[in-house]
Amino acid sequence: MNSKTVHHPETSMLLEFSAGTLETAASICVSAHLHFCAHCRDSLLRLDQVGSKLMEDSQAEPVDEALFASVMERIDRLEDGASEPDKYSQVGDYPPSVNKLIEADDNPPLWRRLSGSVDVASLKTGQKKFEVALHRICAGGKTPKHDHGGLEYTVVLKGSFSDERSVYSEGDFILRKPGDTHQPMGAQNGECICLSAQSAPIKLSSPLGFIMNNLLRINPR
Amino acid sequence: MAAQSNPLQSSVKRSDQWSNLLVAVGETRDRAAFADLFKHYAPLIKSFAQASRHEGWFPGLNEDLVQEVMIKVWQKAAGYNPEKASATTWIYTVARNCRIDMLRRKSNTQHLPLENEDYWHEPDEETPTLLLQQKRSEEKLRESLAQLPKEQDEILRKVYLEGKSHAETSEELGLPLGTVKSRVRLALQKMQILVPAEFQDELTHEQ
Ligand SMILES: [Zn+2]
Repeated sequence: MNSKTVHHPETSMLLEFSAGTLETAASICVSAHLHFCAHCRDSLLRLDQVGSKLMEDSQAEPVDEALFASVMERIDRLEDGASEPDKYSQVGDYPPSVNKLIEADDNPPLWRRLSGSVDVASLKTGQKKFEVALHRICAGGKTPKHDHGGLEYTVVLKGSFSDERSVYSEGDFILRKPGDTHQPMGAQNGECICLSAQSAPIKLSSPLGFIMNNLLRINPR
Repeated sequence: MAAQSNPLQSSVKRSDQWSNLLVAVGETRDRAAFADLFKHYAPLIKSFAQASRHEGWFPGLNEDLVQEVMIKVWQKAAGYNPEKASATTWIYTVARNCRIDMLRRKSNTQHLPLENEDYWHEPDEETPTLLLQQKRSEEKLRESLAQLPKEQDEILRKVYLEGKSHAETSEELGLPLGTVKSRVRLALQKMQILVPAEFQDELTHEQ
């Protein structure tokens, strides 16, 4: 897919992704964005070239002479067995990095109501720093105005939503930090599904928010 | 079983030796081609493994990584698209993913392997011009990488080879995170990996 995404991860995130040093939750979000964004795929390719040049120019280390034979032996064993499935079946219409998480989970993620217009389905990733989840905002759905307790990465997977700053559509990558207060609203023309990774719960800004705030927590799986 | 490595289709313009061999492995399961790739890449992958300064990495894992990567190369070669990248770049990404996977496997019970296909399969509108640009950028890269100031080169090596995050790099070198990021930026600009315009909106974005 090559939709016209306008919000991209910053270069240093792409570079860390390319070098393999970006933490898991952020990598999942960057991966999902790459699915939509030809521009960032192109940048990533050039960043990967840097890594490949550094690898290529490094001092070659002789390997054990038996290594090739043992690789071929393992390959023969693999070829004898059933061929491994190469493609992930389409659980939903999500990018492969998301489908993979859903498929690997023995307890498939279920939508659970968060508020009148927002559902959430938590994804199992095996890391404990971020809760990675899908959020679904119904058409025209309003969400409460909130601040962020930590970092939050969001990638729009389907539809679009807007807040005070901008409109975000398929593929857009958004980073929110503590102090970034906003009130997202689903687009009128259909539901919006986002992938998000949160390192801490959001904080509601409304006068009665403090009551709800006690109920909000993240559950990294 | 080894079929002769077949010449690339006429539409494919990339023709360095290693990319041809990798295509042969993908298309005809050419074992002789695979042996040549192994001879060339196994020592480079081992060196990449040895460079790792990840917590929990130890020398015993170096040749394990070589094995894992070369098996992946055999299994995934059919998905390699020579129009998109050189064999070396593709194999680098396999090595990078395998290295992370091995580390995660050690620390996690729940673990999902990273796959190049997670985003590599996306059909980009490749044009001959694009390919030409990429080839040119790869050549330029080789030259400009050699000409980077030491302080920038050092950081790139820490990040790509040792596997340090920007935050870890900043801690280790006793530099503010902002300085690490800006040195990386300068290096990328100098190598013309990213055009300056991209940094501009990023700077406003970061505030
Ligand atoms: Zn992008």
